[in-house]
Amino acid sequence: MLDAGRHPKIRILAYSEVEGLKGRDGNFEIKIRRKARYVKEDVCNACGMCVTKCPGRALDAFDMGLRKRTAIYLYFSQGIPAVMTIDPEHCIYFTKGRCRTCEKVCDKGAIDFEMKARVETYPVNAVILATGLDILDPSHLTHYGYGKLKNVITGLQYERLINATGPTGGHLERPSDGKLAKKVAYVQCVGSRDLNNCAYCSSVCCMYSIKDAMLAREHDPESDSYIFHTDLRNVGKWFQKYEKRAREEYGVNFIRGRVAQIEEDEECNPIVWYEDTRLQEVKALKVEMVVLATAATPAKGARGLARLLGVRTDPYGFIQTKPDEPADTSRPGIFACGFCKGPCDIPEAVSQASAAAERVAAFISQTAGV
Amino acid sequence: MEPRAAVIGGGIGGIQAALDLAEMGIEVLLVEKQPSIGGVMAQLDKTFPTNDCSI
Repeated sequence: MLDAGRHPKIRILAYSEVEGLKGRDGNFEIKIRRKARYVKEDVCNACGMCVTKCPGRALDAFDMGLRKRTAIYLYFSQGIPAVMTIDPEHCIYFTKGRCRTCEKVCDKGAIDFEMKARVETYPVNAVILATGLDILDPSHLTHYGYGKLKNVITGLQYERLINATGPTGGHLERPSDGKLAKKVAYVQCVGSRDLNNCAYCSSVCCMYSIKDAMLAREHDPESDSYIFHTDLRNVGKWFQKYEKRAREEYGVNFIRGRVAQIEEDEECNPIVWYEDTRLQEVKALKVEMVVLATAATPAKGARGLARLLGVRTDPYGFIQTKPDEPADTSRPGIFACGFCKGPCDIPEAVSQASAAAERVAAFISQTAGV
Repeated sequence: MEPRAAVIGGGIGGIQAALDLAEMGIEVLLVEKQPSIGGVMAQLDKTFPTNDCSI
């Protein structure tokens, strides 16, 4: 990330979205909307003085809504560019017409309430789509109780909880009472491999749930983890060994069976009802927190972007690529890599990215004769 | 004009593609809708199968 920020050939246009693409045969003109962040990128040094004084509050999207942030905020601490952004929907000045505290305390003069979004156009020879993923909101899958039962969270929320830079400083404090969760259930295939939601396998959940369970144990050797799975799809280099390590060295419990219902007791401890398919019995397990491995979907807006760029998507909204040239989309000069073209893990996304970059180089040399 | 490409999305895939293009001498516009690049991977604590830190 740092390398991309420093590279003289890379220009980062953050807080920006594509509005259109014209042209063909390697002579495109891309239209990019630079949203107004109301902070001058070249002036702000992210000192944080504004954040200490800002009275506006909003749920922190980076921390998956587990804490609140101020209306002027740093998206995350290591982000590039490391500059503040004002969220106009929660800024007191934008919503109520008075405040401008950040402007008063900013020694650098970086705040600009008059900033307007602007549209810029650039000539480009090729485009790579790498729009990634979003996770399915599991609220409508009411049997899991997400949104109703406080101690049922998603995998990405868990990532923020166990992260040292996250809202709890890396402690597994459960949402209902802040008590450390010592007995945690990890539920697989929430919305994935489900004909009513995402019929495909999200491909990363088995492995990240094993990782999550191992991390819980590393944080607290007294803790117990239970992974409720359909079947384990740990296909990749060293993945089987990883699962074995989780079983043998970390004592992670694997239970084959889909979870039918989650309820809670009077202390907000989730009770997981499931069918143990090995014993052919319906059982219940009381835990202290549940982590749902929710389906991963194409990023919000990816389908609209594909339409805008004139590239085909599959019925789920993933970018279609050619079987014999897996980085090539349906439109010459536009390539794709990573989760936007189908579920994949990080190493796969990285190798696909390198493949897409190679295809761009080949395309440019053919069309522009460079 | 120097060859130039746009990479849409500043997560791990977009960053890797941008770096590879740049190393090949192609100018890159790295477009990200969020206030900074990093994507979903930046939200992760550790990554499988090595339990290395994600960033």
